[in-house]
Parts: sequence; C-alpha cells; structure tokens
Amino acid sequence: MNSLALIVLLPLLAAAALAAVPRNFRVVMRLAPLAATFLTALLALKVFLQFDPALPGYQFETVLPWLGAPALGIQCRLGVDGLNVALLLMGAIVAFAAACAAWEIDRREKEFAILLLVMTGGILGAFASLDLFFFYAFHELALVPTFIMIGVWGRGDRRNYATFKITLYLSVGALITLVGLIALYLQAGANSFDIRELIRHVQANPLSAGAQHAIFPLLLFGFGILVSLWPFHTWAPVGYAAAPTPTAMLHAGVLKKFGLYGLLRIALPLMPEAAQGWMGTLALLSLGNILFCGLVAMRQRDLNYLIGNSSVAHMGFVFLGIASLTLVGVTGALVVMVAHGFLAALSFALSGYLYQQTKTLDLGQMGGLLHRLPFIGTAFIMAMLAGCGLPGFANFVGEAMVFFGAWTVFPVITIVAVWAALVIGGVYMIRAIRQLLHGPLPERWANLADTANAWRKLPFALLLGCLFWFGAFPSTLTRRIEPALAPTLAGFNRPALVELSAPDGVRTAKVMVSTETREDTRP
Amino acid sequence: MKLPLLPWLILFLPLLAAAAGMLWTLRSPARTARLSVGAIAGSFLLSVVFIAVNGWLPAGAESAVTWLAVGDLSVDLGLQLDSLSLPMLLVVTGVGGVIHVYSLGYLRDDPGFARYFACLSLFTFAMLGVVLANNFLMLFVFWELVGVSSYLLIGFWFGRPAAADAGKKAFLTNRVGDFGFLLGILLVWSTLGTLDFGELRKIISVRPDVLGGAATLAGLLIFCGAVGKSAQFPLHVWLPDAMEGPTPVSALIHAATMVAAGVYMLCRVFFLLDLPGSHALDIIGWIGGITALFAAVVALQQNDIKRILAYSTLSQLGYMVMAVGVGGPATGMYHLTTHAFFKALLFLGAGSVIHALHHQQNIWKMGGLSWRMPVTFLTFLVATLALCGVPPFSGFFSKDAVLAATLTGNHANYLLFGLGVAVAVLTTLYMFRLVFVVFLGSTRSAHANAAQESPRIMTWPLALLALPSALAGFWAIDGIYAGAFGGEGGAGHGGWGHTIAMLASLAAVIGGFVLAWRLYRDAMDDPLPAKLGGLAEAMRDRFYLDEVYQGTVIRFQDACAGFADLFDRWIIAGVAVRGVHGTTEFVGRALRLAQTGNLRTYAFLTVLGLALILYLALG
Repeated sequence: MNSLALIVLLPLLAAAALAAVPRNFRVVMRLAPLAATFLTALLALKVFLQFDPALPGYQFETVLPWLGAPALGIQCRLGVDGLNVALLLMGAIVAFAAACAAWEIDRREKEFAILLLVMTGGILGAFASLDLFFFYAFHELALVPTFIMIGVWGRGDRRNYATFKITLYLSVGALITLVGLIALYLQAGANSFDIRELIRHVQANPLSAGAQHAIFPLLLFGFGILVSLWPFHTWAPVGYAAAPTPTAMLHAGVLKKFGLYGLLRIALPLMPEAAQGWMGTLALLSLGNILFCGLVAMRQRDLNYLIGNSSVAHMGFVFLGIASLTLVGVTGALVVMVAHGFLAALSFALSGYLYQQTKTLDLGQMGGLLHRLPFIGTAFIMAMLAGCGLPGFANFVGEAMVFFGAWTVFPVITIVAVWAALVIGGVYMIRAIRQLLHGPLPERWANLADTANAWRKLPFALLLGCLFWFGAFPSTLTRRIEPALAPTLAGFNRPALVELSAPDGVRTAKVMVSTETREDTRP
Repeated sequence: MKLPLLPWLILFLPLLAAAAGMLWTLRSPARTARLSVGAIAGSFLLSVVFIAVNGWLPAGAESAVTWLAVGDLSVDLGLQLDSLSLPMLLVVTGVGGVIHVYSLGYLRDDPGFARYFACLSLFTFAMLGVVLANNFLMLFVFWELVGVSSYLLIGFWFGRPAAADAGKKAFLTNRVGDFGFLLGILLVWSTLGTLDFGELRKIISVRPDVLGGAATLAGLLIFCGAVGKSAQFPLHVWLPDAMEGPTPVSALIHAATMVAAGVYMLCRVFFLLDLPGSHALDIIGWIGGITALFAAVVALQQNDIKRILAYSTLSQLGYMVMAVGVGGPATGMYHLTTHAFFKALLFLGAGSVIHALHHQQNIWKMGGLSWRMPVTFLTFLVATLALCGVPPFSGFFSKDAVLAATLTGNHANYLLFGLGVAVAVLTTLYMFRLVFVVFLGSTRSAHANAAQESPRIMTWPLALLALPSALAGFWAIDGIYAGAFGGEGGAGHGGWGHTIAMLASLAAVIGGFVLAWRLYRDAMDDPLPAKLGGLAEAMRDRFYLDEVYQGTVIRFQDACAGFADLFDRWIIAGVAVRGVHGTTEFVGRALRLAQTGNLRTYAFLTVLGLALILYLALG
C-alpha cells in the first residue's frame, strides 16, 4: 500500500475505528481526527514533493484489489498527475485545519468526528481516483455527511431551510452528473471504468458529434451545480451560513472543487468538440458568478453570506479560465482552485471563530474588533486582501493567469471580469474590514478574547502560510500543473496570441522580431 | 556589472524587517523600530556602494530569475538597474530613511509603534520593487503592494472612523486606476507577446508602428494606473483624505513613495507612450496641466496645514506628469527628485508644528511660531522657497526645466506653458499664505503661545532634508536621468526655452509673493472669501468633486448591487427555484418525505438510487 492509498484510507479507517470507541472518550474523539488528518496532510505533502513533473502519465499509481467489481470493469485505482496532485495537498491541509476548527463542536462529538473523517476520505478519494465509478462514489461518500452535519450541528434559524436547499441542489447536480457519466460510459464503449482506458479509447474512436453535444451539457451543468455555477448558485451562501465551521471549510474549500476537477479530468478530454462549442456559454455564465455574485456580495449584511457570495464569485474565475481553453487560462484556473481552497477554509474558520465569540455575524453590529482581536483581526484582513486579489497571495497569481488566458479569447468578458475582480471585489472586502474591524469598539464587544495560544492559532497560520507560499513561489504549482494540461489543451483550436486590431502582416513581422529579441536577451 | 547580489539585498532587506516585525518582534516595539530603520539605512548604504562601484549605467544591467512561466506567459522576478532606477533607489531609501528616523520621535508613545514600523518597511519594500521591476507584471505586483501598504498606513489609527475611511478610499480609488493599468498590460502583452521592458523596447525600436491603431489606447490604459497612484485628476480625491494618516506617513506617501510611483512608471515605459500615431502623450500632458491648476486653486482656500501641502503635492505631480506629456520624462524625474526632498521637508516641518501644538492642524489657530520653533521655521522656509522656485534653491532648477520642456520638448505645447506659469504664481501665493499665517504675525491660540521646538530626533531630519532641498539644483541630477532616455528625454537643454522659462517663473514668484504679502501679512482671518464669494466656497469644498462621485459613480454601483441582490433573492432563488419546486408537486412531496429527520433513511435512499441507476444503465 503506497502513500496515495494511505492518504485516502487513513481517514476512513480512523472513522471506522472511532465507531468502536465509546462516546464518553471525548479526548479520543478530539484527537483521532487531528492525528489522522495530520498524517494524511504529511503524506500528501510527501507525494506533492516527490511528484516529478517531467514524467508522463500518472505517478504513485496503485490498485486496491479488494475494492471493486472486476467483472464490470470497476476497480479502485488511484494515481496522481499534475491535475490532482496539488488539489490533494490542498484538500489534506484544509482537512487538518478543519479538524482543528472542530473544537467548536460541543455535542455528539463522536458522530461529528466520524462524519468529518468520512468526508475527508471521500474528498481525497474522489480526487485520487482513476476509475470513473469510484470517482463518483467517493464524491457521494463525502457529500452525504455534508448534509447530515449541516442538519444536525448547523446554526441559525434558517438551518432546516438551508439543509433542505443544499441537499436538493447538490443531489440534483450529482444526479445529472451521474446520468451524464453513465451515458458517456455507454457511448464510449470501452467496457472499462478506468479513466485512462476511456481516454485512450475515445482518442482512437472519438465520440460522434451528436453524442458529445447531448452528453456534454449534462456534465457541464451537473458539475456546474456542484460548483455553484450561476444561476444555480443560491444554495451556497445559505448552506455555508448554516453549516458548522469545519463542514463549511471542507465543502467550500475542497469538495466544491470536485465539479471543476471533473470538467477538467473527464469532460474536456473525452468530448473536446462539444467542449469547444459550449465554452462561449460557460464564459458568459462565469460572468454571472464574477460580476453578479460580486455585486450581491456588496449588499450582504451578514459576514457569512458575504464570504459565501464571494466564494461563489471566485468560482467564476475558474470557469472563465477553463472556458478560455488556453494553457495559461486553464493553468490559472487550477491555481485559483488551490488558492481558493485555502482561502475559503481560512475565511470560514475566521468567521466561525468570531461567531463562537459574538453569536452574531451581522456586520451592522460590529466595529473596531481589531482592538480586541489583534491576531484574528490581522488574519481576517489578510484573508480579505487575498480575496480581492492582492499580489503576495496565491489567488492573485491564479486570477492574473486567468485574465491573461481569457483576454486573447474573450476580451470583452475579460474586461468586465477585471473590473469585478479589482473594484467590486475590493469594495466588498475592504468594506467588510471597515465594518468589522475598524472604527471605535462598541461597548458590548469589550470582552471578546483573541486566540488563547499557539495551538489555536495553528490552523489560521497554516492556511495563511500556504496562501503566501504559493503566492510567492507560484511555479511550485504551475510547474506540476502545466505538463498535465498541455496534451488535453493541445487539441483545442485556440490562437496563441490574438491580434486585436492590427492587420495580419504586422503580426507575422512582430512574431519574428520578438523571437529574435528573446534569443539575444537570454543567452 | 560588479556586485550583482547587492540590488537583491537592497530590495529584500526592508521585506525581511517587515516580516520579522510582524512575526517576532511585535511585542518589542523598540527592536522592531531598530530593525526597520536599520533595514532602510542598509539599503541606502548598499545603493551608494553599488553606484560607486558600477556608476549610473552598469553594463548588463539586469539580473533576473524566472518567477512564473506557463505557455505564452513568462514573468521574471528581475531587477533593472539603469540611470532611471539607480538615482530613484537613493531617493526612496534616502528620503524614506530620514522619515523613518523622524517617526521614531513622532510616534514615540503610540501603542501601535511596532505595527507602524513593520508597515513602513513593507511600504519601502513595495516601492523599491516598483523602482527595480524589469517587467510589467512584476511592476503591477509591487504596484498593488504599494497600494495596500498605503492602505494600512493611512488607516493606521483605525479606531478613528475618518482614518479608516480614508484608507478605504485610497485603496479603492487606486483600484479603479489599476483596472485600466491591468487592461493596458494585457493589451501590450497580447499584441507584443512579452512583458519584459527590455524586449518590448527592442520590438518597438525595430517596428515603432507595431501597436498600430491600439497605440493611443494602450498608452492611455497604462496611464490610468498613474492617474490612480499619482493622484491625477479625476482620481485625485484620495490624496487629500490620506492626510488622516500619521504625518510622517504623509511625508512618505507624498515624497518618496506612492505618488512618485505613477510618474516613475510613466518614465519607465515612456518608449511605449511616445509612439508615432499615438496621441497618448498629448492627453497625458493635458491631464497633468489640469491637475496642476485645479489643485493649486483648491490649495488656496484650505485651512488645514496638511491639506494645503496635500493639494500642493497634487499640483506638483501635475507638473511632473505634464513634463512627461510634453516629451520630457527626464525633467519630470528631475522635478520628482527635488520635490521629494522639499516636500518631505515640508511635511515633516508641518508634523513638527502639529506635534508642538498638540495635534492642532488649523493654520488660523497658529501664528507667530517663527521665534518659538526656529529650526522648524528656517527649514520650512527653505523648503517653501524651493517649492516656489526661488533661485538658487533646487525647485527653481527643476521647475524651470519642466517649463522649458513645455516650450521645446518633442510634444511642446505653449498653452501648457502658460498654464504652468499660472500655477507657479498660485504656488507662491498659497505657500506664502501658509508661511505668513503659521510662522509670522501674532499667535491665535493658547497652544500656539505655548509651542516649543520639537525634540532633536525630529529636528535633525529637518536639517538633513534642508540640505538637498537647497542645493540639489547643483548636483546635475537632470543629466543622470537624461542618460536613461538617450534621445527621448533630453528636451530643453539650454537655449531660448530655458531663458523664457526662467524669466517667466521668476516673474511668477515675484507676482505670487507680492499678492501673498498684501493679502496675508498680519491677516487675522482669510480676506479671500469676502473678495471671491461663492468661488472661494467652491475652492474650499474642492469643487464638490467628492460629492459628485458619491452621487454618481458610487451610487450607481451600489444601485447595481442592490438590483443584483434583489434579483438573486426574488427571481433566481425565489421565482425560478421555488416556482419550479412548486409546480413539480410530486418532487416536492417526495423531498418532504425524505426530510423526515431520519438521516439513515436518507443516506440509504441515496445509495439505493445510485445502485438502481447503475443497474438500469449496465443491465
């Protein structure tokens, strides 16, 4: 059993083991998820560091022989390439931070710990699977605990409504995806659920245009609903506002990325023709996320709704990057996915900490909290600045790459997206800082307490550290991502750089010049 | 190039100080301050050493490592060392260093002392990055970092609503400018295929028409960034509000960092603005001229000592941008440099006055301070003379060069020359209004009566800055900058332009001084409102531009947000989603059944459904 199998199985085994422990062993309930997710994160880091981008294909490949139905072509196969290696690392680190944040749970600790571990194992399994069946099954395994956790440990008077809504939406999204995946499997006719086998088979015998155009929208909108693609996004702010902190961190940070990952892993390589046809629509819808939900975020009075809407808006950058189908744009989309995972988890962890203290997140009642909460407040400012795309944080790199990639394909949409990113994003993030942290401190918050010790600071510091690291050294990500995307994207018909207004003759001359100059400035 | 590692040290020393300050020494203010001052002093000394060894134009003047390379996009973390960036290094670390030292005294008892110095170091780092960047994206990265450090420092006293709002305003106004800047970068990249300044310059020199019809647009989009950072009309509104920050921060923002970044960036990419068929420079020149005049008029009726200086900065920035616009970037940089000296001095002097008067900033509550605060008065006077352009102080030479450039530059514009001379009159008028009211005449408040000279840690920096403010005109700084532009910027050296400009600016100084003498010598209150009536009111209220923005742009965006929110709540979540839900009764009921609260049933149903569909599909 290699590291990769351990990454997926450790949380699940820990969950199974916990089921056998009596519920009054509270310390065990607290420590087991921490230990399991910590080891998982260490292993994920090891896989990330040992991953060699120069090698083609998958690495750390492993088959779990006892898991699957070989007669049906179903087998639990795990492996990493540039597409998922960073997502796994991000997922494992966020899971550890979520386990840290679980200290706020004060009833039914046993069930919560088990569900949290199952959710973690499910997410990581979905990202690591090279088998279509397990890709989907692991996702379901993570999704169901989400609903239960919101329903049982959720907060606020809209908890039931939120549980209902998020369950309805995500189940419908997952079902549409399932129909699409099954149709895809049948149409491909490879008689295997092995994703590599499927891709190989389809490359040799491409799907008919009719089949592609029938199946692709199922996957696009099925996956899209799971990622809160506009206009199927309204579950997200409501759901996250009601969710307990660790659940919101894991779902918004990691599980939500499943749909995007599915688009990149399955939909694009298997149905390139339909993908190309649908990307204009996707780019327009991404504007719904970026611009529309950005504007909605400006109006929110509740911090969690603001963060939830901004998280929806950030998904728009990923959609826009994918829609560009350029190497720069899609790589940027993956960078945004990783960055947003850390950021969403950090934001919800901070708002969760605040809620524990204040029992309200109404921005109108806040103010001046930085006086009382220097650490949490500073971390919050950094999270908000990362959220409005400040350089130094990983989000900037991803968003900038998305703009560079999309600009050559959808210039008008990119202009609007840049406005939304720089100005609208800035407005609601900076306003939130102003309302929450700056200004005089109201009397009633005079007794708030900052994080007590280094241990409580750890999850925040860890997530911030990751944002800084990938913001300062983005090539640690892109170097791994790019080779995995290049073959898929090479099939798409996108101009490398589009001339905006000048006639053709100028362009050819210019390219000549630029290659010359590059040679002599870089000996 | 010798000592290639030095520039990296110069750049990263302040960052290390900021990081150490944030992570380890926040509880030990004195140590944070020492680190911060040590870092900028170190950067200054290393810059001196580097220049002494390599001269102003080192051979092979770039050193770079790849930061990000994906597909067509390649971005270096690279340093460009030439006679544009090297003198700027000295200005940033030199003037900035003096301000660091002064802050030691000014903020001695502030509870946020350590945080202040950590932010100050971050600010220095960001500005050094802007100066040294060798490509557009790196420039943009540091550009944004400058924006955020100014946000943190303007809102340093975050408990005061006015300060917190001012920081917010500065950040967001800059973001509006950056929107255009980033689009300009995208446009340049997609047409020329690179972001590297050196490569861009080579492409342009081989094919100057390569941008074709997009040349003007690209130039103006890039200029948008400078409009935000250098507070040009119509995005100037953040700068006067930024006075809410501690006074040394104002000095830093107005002299060595931030607002200088915009002008510096225009000079750095001047080769992209000055293209055949591009009208960008003409518009840039006019924007600069309008800003210069507008701000000088407004400055005349401000009563807050820092606000007067703030509008004076706006006005002088207008001069610099105008100089770039008429084709004289070297003269723009020259004025930027001398202005950095005397404007820092003016702000620190104002800070000394404010400090002595227990944070009184209204000039009509001051008066007669010249004998009570002799060092502050004398150094302030030197800076005022320099700002007004009195020979032989430094401002005389640089302002003269700017005016000469409007006459003889490649894009000479006589109207702008006239405008520049009018601004020079106004400059002398509002500056001597300030000097007469604050330092001469009789005292107008108890605090002013009891004022004492500031401590030595604050007066020494004043004396240090007075030296270059007085003498920088003799240091041939314009020659160094001109070297960076070759044929591009060597406008207006000697000849008839200089003679006319010199005579005109001398006349302007005399005219302005006589006016100020007659209006404000011994004045107990401002005589202008009575003479000008409504106009004076409009000047005092900054021509209502803030109100106009509040009523149009901001309200429009908020209205959009309100509409989006309602649409989201009632149409998408309400009618569309619930409507679908309502009409499909069956689904609704089935789901209500699933909502029995029995979670195991629920989980079981999901798995069952999955298995069923799989069975149907496979079987």
